[in-house]
Amino acid sequence: MRGNSLAVGFVVLAVVFVLLAGLYYEGVLQIFVTDPHAKHHTTHAILFSVLAIASLIAANFARSKRTA
Amino acid sequence: MTLAQALFMGLLQGATELFPVSSLGHAVLIPSLLHWSFKQSDPSFVPFLVLLHLGTAGALLVVYRTQWVEIIKGFFTAAVRGRIEKPSERLAMLLLVGTIPAGILGVFLEHQLKSLFASPKAAAIFLIVNGLLMLGFEALRRRAEARVAPAAKTRVEQEDSFASAEQISFKAAALVGACQALALLPGISRSGVTIGGGLVAGLRHQEAARFSFLLATPIIAAAGVLEIPQLLSSTVPLAEYAAAAVLAGVAAYLSARFLLRYFRSGRLDPYGWYCAAAGAISLALLTFRP
Repeated sequence: MRGNSLAVGFVVLAVVFVLLAGLYYEGVLQIFVTDPHAKHHTTHAILFSVLAIASLIAANFARSKRTA
Repeated sequence: MTLAQALFMGLLQGATELFPVSSLGHAVLIPSLLHWSFKQSDPSFVPFLVLLHLGTAGALLVVYRTQWVEIIKGFFTAAVRGRIEKPSERLAMLLLVGTIPAGILGVFLEHQLKSLFASPKAAAIFLIVNGLLMLGFEALRRRAEARVAPAAKTRVEQEDSFASAEQISFKAAALVGACQALALLPGISRSGVTIGGGLVAGLRHQEAARFSFLLATPIIAAAGVLEIPQLLSSTVPLAEYAAAAVLAGVAAYLSARFLLRYFRSGRLDPYGWYCAAAGAISLALLTFRP
């Protein structure tokens, strides 16, 4: 049960990271950026995409623990 | 920047990136001490640094080519399976966990930290701090050795009492990874703080160096690859810069080979003393020289 809720938590986190990646890429979010006038913040978008993937991997680990 | 200066900077960056003596600190200090006129804040300097970093990352990929194949395979297998079964899979996940804090801190703080501290005097002060950190890490390690291997007669026996990279905890990997972010301060060595962090986490010296070099590769390569569009769009002397990058790669390859052999029984102390002395001399020269 605990593994299940942890897995869900990681999936939610992954969704949040995907949203943040999109917002940075589109230039909507301008927090902690080098050039506030840039149209796209590719580095930030890539970072949050990687964090989203890492969260999904963590969710898969948490799910597997529950089923094992 | 002349061709000779570019080649010198390539050699310097390649050698000092992996030695625990701060490549950024040396790149800020040495041109200033030699009164070289090129400005590191100049936009054309970024593509130059990008190529040098790609050269270093390439060298690390060559040194660990077979391990990287195993790590990449292990990463995908463990990620899909959701379970770790082999040491290479565990190492892949440890590297992922170690890379995340450095990536976050690097992306969000790099510009602020570099613009705050990118002066030769600050680099000299942080170089002294780096030296003290190396000596501190070794002092902690000697205490651990007295506790873990009191009966060991040789350095090799002492080292054998400690762990390999695959055996550290995920928390320790995250901590070692976070240490990388300290290297955004010019004068603090990325490899120095990660090797030191690895020692505190209970790794053998050679394994701490291996983990540090493996941890560095994705970050250095990613930082380089991300800047490639800027490199292609700028009008820089690509041939000269590429020659410097090759030199940086060769220097990094030889440095990695030397350090992995050195850390079979060697310690961080000599690098600690070197950094403290080089930082103090640089600070004196920068302060008192007309």
